[in-house]
Amino acid sequence: MASMSTRHILLGLLASGPSHGYDLKRRHDERFPQARPLAYGQVYTTLQRLVRDGLAEVEGTDSDGGPERTTYRATDDGTRELTRWAGEIAPPAPFVTNEIFAKVVASILSGGDPAAYLRAQRAAHMARMRELTAVKSAPGADLATVLSADFALNHLDADLRWMTTTAARLTTLTAEVDTA
Amino acid sequence: MSIGDNTAGPLLAGRGLVKAHGATPALRGASVELYAGEILAVTGASGSGKSTLVHCLSGIVRPDEGSVTYAGRRLEELPEKRLSELRRTDFGVVFQFGQLVPELTALDNVALPLMLAGTGRDAARSAAGEWLERFGVRGQEELRPGELSGGQAQRTALARALVTGPKVVFADEPTGALDSLASEQVMTALTHTARETGTAVLLITHDAQVAAYADREVQLRDGAVAPLGVAA
Amino acid sequence: MTTSSLASDLRLAWQLTRGSDRREWWRVALTATGAALATGCALAAVAVASLRGQSRVSVGAGLLDQPGTRSGVVVGLLLLLVPVLGFLGQCARIGAVHRDRRLAGLRLAGATPWQVRRIAALETGPACLLGSVAAAVVAVPVLLGVWAEPTAAAWAGIVLVTAGVPVLGAVAGALALRRVVASPLGWVRRTRPRTGRGPGLLFAAGVLLVAVTGLVTLATASSGPYRPGPPPALLVLGVVVVTGAGAVGLAGATARLTGRVLAARARSAATLIAAERLRDDPWAAARTHAAVLLVTVVGTGFAGIRHVLLDILDSHKHLSESRSFYTAGLDLTAAAVVVALAVTLSGLAVGTAESLATRRRGVAALAAAGVPRAVLGRALLLETALPLAPAVLLAGTGGAVVGFAYALFADGGGWSRPWASLLVPVVVYATCLLAAATALPLLRRTAHPAELRYA
Repeated sequence: MASMSTRHILLGLLASGPSHGYDLKRRHDERFPQARPLAYGQVYTTLQRLVRDGLAEVEGTDSDGGPERTTYRATDDGTRELTRWAGEIAPPAPFVTNEIFAKVVASILSGGDPAAYLRAQRAAHMARMRELTAVKSAPGADLATVLSADFALNHLDADLRWMTTTAARLTTLTAEVDTA
Repeated sequence: MSIGDNTAGPLLAGRGLVKAHGATPALRGASVELYAGEILAVTGASGSGKSTLVHCLSGIVRPDEGSVTYAGRRLEELPEKRLSELRRTDFGVVFQFGQLVPELTALDNVALPLMLAGTGRDAARSAAGEWLERFGVRGQEELRPGELSGGQAQRTALARALVTGPKVVFADEPTGALDSLASEQVMTALTHTARETGTAVLLITHDAQVAAYADREVQLRDGAVAPLGVAA
Repeated sequence: MTTSSLASDLRLAWQLTRGSDRREWWRVALTATGAALATGCALAAVAVASLRGQSRVSVGAGLLDQPGTRSGVVVGLLLLLVPVLGFLGQCARIGAVHRDRRLAGLRLAGATPWQVRRIAALETGPACLLGSVAAAVVAVPVLLGVWAEPTAAAWAGIVLVTAGVPVLGAVAGALALRRVVASPLGWVRRTRPRTGRGPGLLFAAGVLLVAVTGLVTLATASSGPYRPGPPPALLVLGVVVVTGAGAVGLAGATARLTGRVLAARARSAATLIAAERLRDDPWAAARTHAAVLLVTVVGTGFAGIRHVLLDILDSHKHLSESRSFYTAGLDLTAAAVVVALAVTLSGLAVGTAESLATRRRGVAALAAAGVPRAVLGRALLLETALPLAPAVLLAGTGGAVVGFAYALFADGGGWSRPWASLLVPVVVYATCLLAAATALPLLRRTAHPAELRYA
């Protein structure tokens, strides 16, 4: 996930016009509803780095009666960098960190109850999937919401299917882990 | 009617259901409760007894052992004639495919249950038209099932299952033959309408993404309800 | 390639038949029965036709003694083939949907059109062979018992018929598959294909075949010293061909019209289902219904003529021949009409059962949705009753016109009107409904949820 940097997302949001930090955070959270919300501090430091690297520059400041706010806009270099990144293929994850599998193996090694763990994990996954489904099928949900919920749902579903297959093969796995 | 109202006890309950197809046991003591207005997903691998459970709960099949209670009535005590009537008035059924009469238009297919209940043809057709519109089957009313897409046919089947205002809809793999987009449309249509009308749905599926449309899940394994894990 | 691939095709056909369900065996048994009936009729016709000049025959009350009456018997026997062919047509439809799908699967798996045709022919041919051989095994001893020394022509005819019936059956089986062969995908698709007029054309072809053979036998039979006069005989055959083809067309057209009219006006669910089914595939009913029409026309007309003839006999105007000579002829014809009706009704019963079996999943789904079995049963009966009513009415009228005309004009005219003959269409209609009703017990099994599992 490191390559999908906040830098590029902010550059993308700046592509539609100059904007200040708080506005960028608000638009990010709206646009990517299922992603982790951006912290304001993270937005601020990222913007400063963009300016340092010549990808963005300060447009000006205004206060609008409230606290003073700095408005940023993307430079030509920034726009080029955004285009390059957007067209670049995201490498299929070479190593998937599989916490669930690790826990199953650990549970077998420590003489625990991996089946019970998988059931509980499955219930948690299903609960999250129900939440996401409720979000995406709520009347008036916009397409961005539906699509990002779908992305998460498909990943959770993949986990779930893996858990179902694993639960059915726990006996063989236990034998294998124990003899190894 | 409040949704998921658990205080009044279950609307439909199967207890200790046992059913064998010849020598092959399909259900070995399965117990399921469905509350008024709730959407319950029954999941499980193929061959785990999901379809047989629905057949028993909807009175299509009589279990070898155990009992099914619907709204205080024991289904096994009702004669076949009353069971048919119950399925016509209080239950709606949707299967994976093939439930529409191939010779009837989509509109007549939806009007069929009303006509069976004694409604005149014109009144039945106009009510059917409203339900088809509700399920987004518009402009295809006069097509035969063979001319509809899979998703349209399933939404027509849903309209037919709901047109009589049933208390329970049994949906056995309603999206089993559909791609994910058509499946999403069918499930959204089903769950929205069920919640609007307070209809309870017993949803059978092997697909977790479809099961996620339900309020609750029951997992079948080898003909009995598997223990559900408690989310930490 | 030919011998070895023929052997492997035969093995494949055998495996397909053996591996399929009980219905396939029903098809084999009923097809064999139909083939036996057809062979029997044809053998009798051949034996009678191969007689030359005056002769004494111990059966038939002297009807077979003279070439003139003999040719009448031959025509009658060949006419009996019409309902038998209708029956065979119905038998060929048993499991047709599954067989088509199976053979389309073979095509998709890479079988050539010829291989599929051959396999289809091999599935039908042996069943017909079984029937025709069985019929021949019974017919030959009977013939030898009646006729001390059959002529070489008679033997040749017997061999030709016994071998010809299975060959024709196999050809018909292969022909019926022309659409599967042309487009294998068309039949494995989920959408239901149209049945079309193919079977109707086959029926018409069968009628034509009967007419041609009848013509040939007549031409040879009437070359004896006594000539019955070819024009009337030709006329009779022409009428048969026209009536046969017309009956199929009429039955189909009535079914479609009835369907269209009723579908728009149906008030009850049962009528609506039956009407839409007719509109969707009017030709499915036409095959058997055409035979019903023929039986009705012939039966009603014959009942009228018989009534008048008996009147004439009773008036003692003609005593040149013994009365039993005429009554035997009449009784024989009556028996032939009854046999034709029985065969037609069997075809109807088979057809109704098959139509139910083909739609078993839909029927099961309706039953699951709470549609009472009574409604399903009514729809099934209406499907037979609706199109048959106007058709039988029309055919009965036609037959009655013949009978009443005979009463008015035969032998000087003025004979009593054959009112009783008007009962024939009523009886035919009632027995047709009874035949269709024999499928009702099957409905109980079809409306079982286990059928929901089938595609």
